[in-house]
Amino acid sequence: MSAPTLESALRAVGIRCTVEAVDRLAVIVPDDSEAGLATVRGRREALRLIGAHGFTHLALELPGEPADRAPLHRD
Amino acid sequence: MATIAAHPSSHPVSPATEEKERALIAWLRARGSALLGFSGGVDSAYLASVALDALGAERFLGVIGRSPSYPEEQRREARAVAERFGIPVIELDTEELQDPSYTANPTNRCYFCKSELWGRLVPVARDRGFSAVIDGTNADDRSDYRPGAAAAAELDVESPLAAVGLTKDEIRVLSRRRGLSGWDRPASPCLSSRIPYGTAVTADRLRRIEAAERAVRALGVTGDLRVRYHGELARVELSRGELDRWLAPEESRRLRAAVLSAGFARVAIDLAGFRSGSLNVLGGVTAG
Repeated sequence: MSAPTLESALRAVGIRCTVEAVDRLAVIVPDDSEAGLATVRGRREALRLIGAHGFTHLALELPGEPADRAPLHRD
Repeated sequence: MATIAAHPSSHPVSPATEEKERALIAWLRARGSALLGFSGGVDSAYLASVALDALGAERFLGVIGRSPSYPEEQRREARAVAERFGIPVIELDTEELQDPSYTANPTNRCYFCKSELWGRLVPVARDRGFSAVIDGTNADDRSDYRPGAAAAAELDVESPLAAVGLTKDEIRVLSRRRGLSGWDRPASPCLSSRIPYGTAVTADRLRRIEAAERAVRALGVTGDLRVRYHGELARVELSRGELDRWLAPEESRRLRAAVLSAGFARVAIDLAGFRSGSLNVLGGVTAG
């Protein structure tokens, strides 16, 4: 289970993003122009890839201003 | 013994389901009286309605357990159902958030919650002379991971819906026939179920989750909804049929603003949509 590996796999199918891992949740932070995940087909492809990379959940972060972003943390 | 009220017959019910309802009535009458842990959800509302018919208001009582993990909106709905159908109810505060075993949020968290709930309700039943303490567990629930059932069993709390084999779908059909307005309401487990196992349950986190779900509902989201807690990030699970709408740029901005207003710093939509027991999967928990 590796966020960078999943990120590469997503980019290889045309989904431009970065990936953060929280346990087995992959959080996709889309690049500014990314729209592939707005389609059912794109989501299906992404969900197939996360399973292949050991993740169980996939969430798309809703874009905001960069200053809004805080690092994920667990306690 | 109370008379079973006539109910509208415009919603057909299969003979097998009819038979289960008759068995439920017989089960309740055999106990003589009962106190129900009443959340106002589909299962307990249906059970309360049948129990009231079968036993009468003198021999039946619903008890709402109030705590920060129980959404205020749901408490109001429970009171409204009780008022509309004449179901006798009282409310009691439960203190599971004072129990470190609960707030540590282990995979058997529900055990500690239900121990607290039933530990308060069973003495009430004893003091008031109710012969049975019952809950709204249905036949489908037995296949899910539910450590709370162990706490119920330890205190002899019984589950009549499951005992007669009534499934969720059957309960919805029977509830609709009875005119229970919440017959098609999505399941609504406690707010702590939105926090991953191992992450502490706190009153502040529960308040944020509740506020976020309320704000999202206010946008017009229907069907299943969970706001899952991941620290500063809220992961929103919606019914799959809602995904296209809320991923569209304008609507996603509204959704994000609603969740941020509850105190989260980041918002994400789960691309698989709503999954019951989603955090069980994330935590690697299976039924057993």
